[in-house]
Amino acid sequence: MRIVLLRRKKPLKYGSALTIGLSLALGVVLFTVFAWIIGLNPLLVLYTISSSFVFPGTVKDFLVLTLLGYALLVAFKGSLWNIGAEGQFHIALLPTVYVTLICFFTLEQVPAYVSVAVILLSIVLATIAGALWGGLAGAIKAYAGVDEVPVTLILNYIAYYIGNILILGPFQGKYVYGYKRTDMLPDPYRVSIIVRVPSTGNPLLDSVFAYVRELIMYFAWILGLLVVVLLVRWLFNNTTLGLRIKVLGSNPDYLVTLGYDVKKLTVVTFMISGAIVGFTAALYFHGYLYRLEYPLEYVSGQYGYLAILVTWLSLLEIRLIPVSAYIVASLIMGSQRLVALPEVKKALEAAGFYGVETSFRLLMFGSILLTYSIMRFLQEYELKVIRE
Amino acid sequence: MTKTFPGDVVALENVSIDIARGEFTAILGENGAGKSTLVKILYGVYVADKGVIRIEGREVQIKNPTDAIKNGIVMVSQIPQLIDRLTVEENLSLSLARLGLLSSPRKLRKTIEEVSGKLKTKIDPTAKVWSLTYTQKQIVEIIRAVMLGAKLLILDEALTYLPLEERRKFYAYLKEFKEQGGAVVFTTHKIPEALEVADRIYVLRRGRLVGSLTREEATLDKVRELMFGEAAKQITYERFSEPYSVPPGRSIIEVKNLRVLGDFEELAVRDVSLVVREGEIVGIAGVVGNGQRELLEAVVGLRPVSGGAIIIDGVEITRKGVSTTRELGVGFIPDQPLRYAASSENTVLENIAALFSRKNLIIRWNEMKSLTQKLIREFAIWPPREEAHVKLLSGGNIMKVVVSREITYARKALVAYNPTRGLDEVTATHVRRCIRNKAEKERVAVLFASEDLDEVLQLSDSVYVMNSGKLYGPFDPVKTPREEIEKFMVV
Repeated sequence: MRIVLLRRKKPLKYGSALTIGLSLALGVVLFTVFAWIIGLNPLLVLYTISSSFVFPGTVKDFLVLTLLGYALLVAFKGSLWNIGAEGQFHIALLPTVYVTLICFFTLEQVPAYVSVAVILLSIVLATIAGALWGGLAGAIKAYAGVDEVPVTLILNYIAYYIGNILILGPFQGKYVYGYKRTDMLPDPYRVSIIVRVPSTGNPLLDSVFAYVRELIMYFAWILGLLVVVLLVRWLFNNTTLGLRIKVLGSNPDYLVTLGYDVKKLTVVTFMISGAIVGFTAALYFHGYLYRLEYPLEYVSGQYGYLAILVTWLSLLEIRLIPVSAYIVASLIMGSQRLVALPEVKKALEAAGFYGVETSFRLLMFGSILLTYSIMRFLQEYELKVIRE
Repeated sequence: MTKTFPGDVVALENVSIDIARGEFTAILGENGAGKSTLVKILYGVYVADKGVIRIEGREVQIKNPTDAIKNGIVMVSQIPQLIDRLTVEENLSLSLARLGLLSSPRKLRKTIEEVSGKLKTKIDPTAKVWSLTYTQKQIVEIIRAVMLGAKLLILDEALTYLPLEERRKFYAYLKEFKEQGGAVVFTTHKIPEALEVADRIYVLRRGRLVGSLTREEATLDKVRELMFGEAAKQITYERFSEPYSVPPGRSIIEVKNLRVLGDFEELAVRDVSLVVREGEIVGIAGVVGNGQRELLEAVVGLRPVSGGAIIIDGVEITRKGVSTTRELGVGFIPDQPLRYAASSENTVLENIAALFSRKNLIIRWNEMKSLTQKLIREFAIWPPREEAHVKLLSGGNIMKVVVSREITYARKALVAYNPTRGLDEVTATHVRRCIRNKAEKERVAVLFASEDLDEVLQLSDSVYVMNSGKLYGPFDPVKTPREEIEKFMVV
């Protein structure tokens, strides 16, 4: 008897859905096993994580991750591994801060057209800044031949530190009592819509209302997301640029034979990816963040890195980005709620682990990535036992 | 043997063959017939889904080439599997080391001397492989097979593109090999030659064995009919029309004193000048590795030139790059088209749209679909679906996608390297006819190089020979004796 590995002849039926579903389920089970080993009640772990899938607090992360997932999808389709959404995000925040908190800062109400103009200007400049920062990584890869993974990773840190210098210097607010932060975004420049919904006493109804409240609050983000989805779909389904990016991901030599400039295409692809990140950063600032604080690396909740997981989990399929973004957003929420439980802290300390809450959270993402890799492999290959 | 590839492509279906000691066995078939798959299973490149391999009655498991070599089976491919930057000796030592064998430099040199002596071609063991000619590289491959103790030597189109004289030297050596108890299996699309040297011929069609003939039973017509059925009647090596039957027009491709460096900075093209006019087909004959690839790549702007000038349709493009030549309406079939002219992860439709939508922002999918469907029908691309991913197509069918696309794209000029390589005879004849029509009816200037002299003679208005980077000619393809042209190829 021997075991052989064969490439699947037919694509697996519902292969993408199975891969995502199973890698998620098995990853959570694997994490639960780790938790059980250190003495946690597995049922508590499973309940906390699974209940986060119907938790209104996921809406914010879901929207941001979907936007960033699309940004990375553009680059990943061209086999350009943009690990730099984090840096593009933070660089894009800088012109936003400059426009809203330096140039047009106000403590009073302003006419609506001024609000709209300032917000639009801020979004446009953030989009350009993201594109330029992405394009820089693309140019280093294309013209200096340096692999994009370390380049984008290094550029993330450069972006953090540029931001930190500015916050400690010219961007430091006038009304912050010496704290290392910028001023607060004036109300006229905010795009979030705050709605207060009184409790009905019915948990199900309250939960539905809470979802509605969140969706209204981030309505501007939903509009932005719609624009991005339509643009990305249009790019890949209708334009020669999209087709070129796809071919770039498969065989750049073919593009050269066709007479295309692969170097320029690499830069442009990175710029589009970075532009979407920049656009997202502006929406995030105007809709939730409102100010920057030193040190900058803790501002974004590491969305730029989590978006990599979102894009991978989508198997680079445009329609699956929201699905994987929702999964990752729920897991973020689940892991946050989990480490906030006193039982978890106690169990970790009893097992001799102190101050490792963040690592414990990341262990869950690691488990899912591991099972995802295995499932992705099994989607392409099958194991067969041959009896001789 | 049964072998199915992803996408339900049945490459082989219950094929059984016997290979006898002391025999030359030919495996013939059209594109996608499964001949390459069959020999690759024997050599352990693929593992069959079903079926067994028996050597002298003993069942053997061949899961990879190392297993095959241990069982005395060695394969030589059309493209030499040698490392260019290493010397002949180093390449051979590496192959032996893979099996845990060691050979003294003396023994190594002795074998090189012995085999190359029998093949009447000198090979310097310390020469870097990149500096060897194609013939020499294939000899090194044969030496490797001998040193690995081959009892069954597989030649997968390995001699197809050598000049006849060179091939005959190999056949003489291989005759000696089989007389000493070895067996040779070869795949080729040159049926007359298979008839000349093979003791047994197997014919495959769409993955099935459709004929097994002894040398006495086999005739050209019989084999062609088995391979292609009714379509066999379309095959011809006769000229479609006399040279210059339509007078050529103004000059389209002009090459002046061109000097081009090769991949290893050696001077690959030495002061070459030629002109191709509207409606004219200029064919360059030559053994692979004599500068033809570098010349054609330079003409379309893919390779920088170190001297001279290239003018296409009156525009000096010497240092402008391939984008300009494409804009001028130049179709290009490169060497290794599967690597440089197709994208395997994309569909046939996308592969075609990528070229034809060069100047548009938006792809006109309906137009592209009709064009792709037309090309699929006209060139019998299999499977006949425009949405099929290229990675699911056989090598021959990918070649059909490339060739049909480039011929159709060519408005001013077509530059091609081995335009029918890997195509079966019926498709190859069709492609040559298309090229002829393109020149005569659409007045496109055609410059092509081919290692298949028959093709050059069938298609060209004017023939050149390229040897060691220099161009000899022009020759009249009808009046010049074939031997005279071949002389320039090997001198």
